[in-house]
Amino acid sequence: MKITVFWGCRIQTSQYAYEMSVREVLPKLDVEIVDLPENVCCGDPVKSVNAFAATYLGARILALANSAGLNDLLVPCNRCHFALSEARRTLQTRPETMEKVTALLKEEGLEYDPKLKIWHTVDFLHDHIGLERVRGAVRKQLKKLRLASHVGCQIIRYTDLGRPEDAENPKKLDSLIGALGAESIEYAEKLDCCGAALMYSHTDSALSLAGSKIKALQGLAVDGLVVSCPDCGLMFDSKQKQAETTVGEKLDLPVLYYTQVLGLAMRLKKEKLGLQLNQSPVDKLLSKIPS
Amino acid sequence: MSLTDLMSMAKPNMESRGKLLLRLGGRELVNCFQCTKCTSGCTALKLLELKPHEIVKLVNLGFVDELPSSDIIWTCATCLKCVQRCPQKASPYHVIMALRNVAVEREAKVPDAYMKAVSQILETGLAETCQKITTREMKVLDREGLKLPKINSPRESFQSAFLKALEEK
Repeated sequence: MKITVFWGCRIQTSQYAYEMSVREVLPKLDVEIVDLPENVCCGDPVKSVNAFAATYLGARILALANSAGLNDLLVPCNRCHFALSEARRTLQTRPETMEKVTALLKEEGLEYDPKLKIWHTVDFLHDHIGLERVRGAVRKQLKKLRLASHVGCQIIRYTDLGRPEDAENPKKLDSLIGALGAESIEYAEKLDCCGAALMYSHTDSALSLAGSKIKALQGLAVDGLVVSCPDCGLMFDSKQKQAETTVGEKLDLPVLYYTQVLGLAMRLKKEKLGLQLNQSPVDKLLSKIPS
Repeated sequence: MSLTDLMSMAKPNMESRGKLLLRLGGRELVNCFQCTKCTSGCTALKLLELKPHEIVKLVNLGFVDELPSSDIIWTCATCLKCVQRCPQKASPYHVIMALRNVAVEREAKVPDAYMKAVSQILETGLAETCQKITTREMKVLDREGLKLPKINSPRESFQSAFLKALEEK
């Protein structure tokens, strides 16, 4: 099948490992990626400034996806997925906003059509591709790995909006980890936030949230933390060293995107999965996978 | 300024309250009965003392003019737990977002990063700028070096359309 992908800002400007690994693993599952003709903000950071402008940006992405002509849109970022879903809800429930947005889009020759199916990496792999096919793509069972999953906040809440995962007991990412032969542990801090949104205004608090979760996981002797959102990747992987000072402990937990772990199980080349880009000590985890 | 300082001389303003309710559309914050489920699960409570149930209560009492000037509305981590768990659909997250919009309109103190993101979007379409990443082996790589495709920029008409959108309230 073919699917349009909206990458958003964070993935395309710094979390390259996520983009590389998605681009690498999906074709192996017979999915052809079509990039949006324009990559523009989803509207999330604008929500705090002007709700209408944020909805407009979300609607513009959906309109661009329509122009690509496919019925499915993959949005690998939690925050973008939430922004687009909420923009769609606002347009459905507020005719006045819908009218203004439609007029603005028309000026640019764009047309909004709500029928598009919006996927996130996690539910796309779990529900659309299916666990069977994921299992079938595994060339090397990751049997010895004990991993923790962090699915993030905005992909599971709020249920009224229709989210890809259960709000209080998300399981899909764990099942996907299990499909690779690895163990996905249950832990008390599973639903704790990475803090990324606070990087805009309260950096230390943001780092402290990320650091506390990593510190807790280190006490549980896990081999790594698996994420599926570029904001969570930023906080737990890229900012892990910086977070050390906020929790007063050495932090050295391997953090990887699920698509990177999937790629490892598919025996894909590490450089193609962006594994050289992770800032956390992922080599510790890699050494536990027999070659 | 802290909320306590701002509230010491505050008077309720039912007109501002009405305007905020209108902005929130279907959000039923008037139904809040202060069960504090939002605050008990709040990500920002522990570190930044954000108490979403207090914010909802203050809005319901008409103290809407003080909140946009308070730092407290910028401490929300947008984890959405309060929206999820509110039994009354009062949705404190949306109240906080609406108050942030009011703060911007009134030109109150807004963290720089938000305004920077908006001007960045106007300039390039994206809220962030492309970074070079240093690998664990100390190699510096950018998109090109990683053989990632060029980022598709928006068409020229985007800037003026986005500016028009920003003028809406």
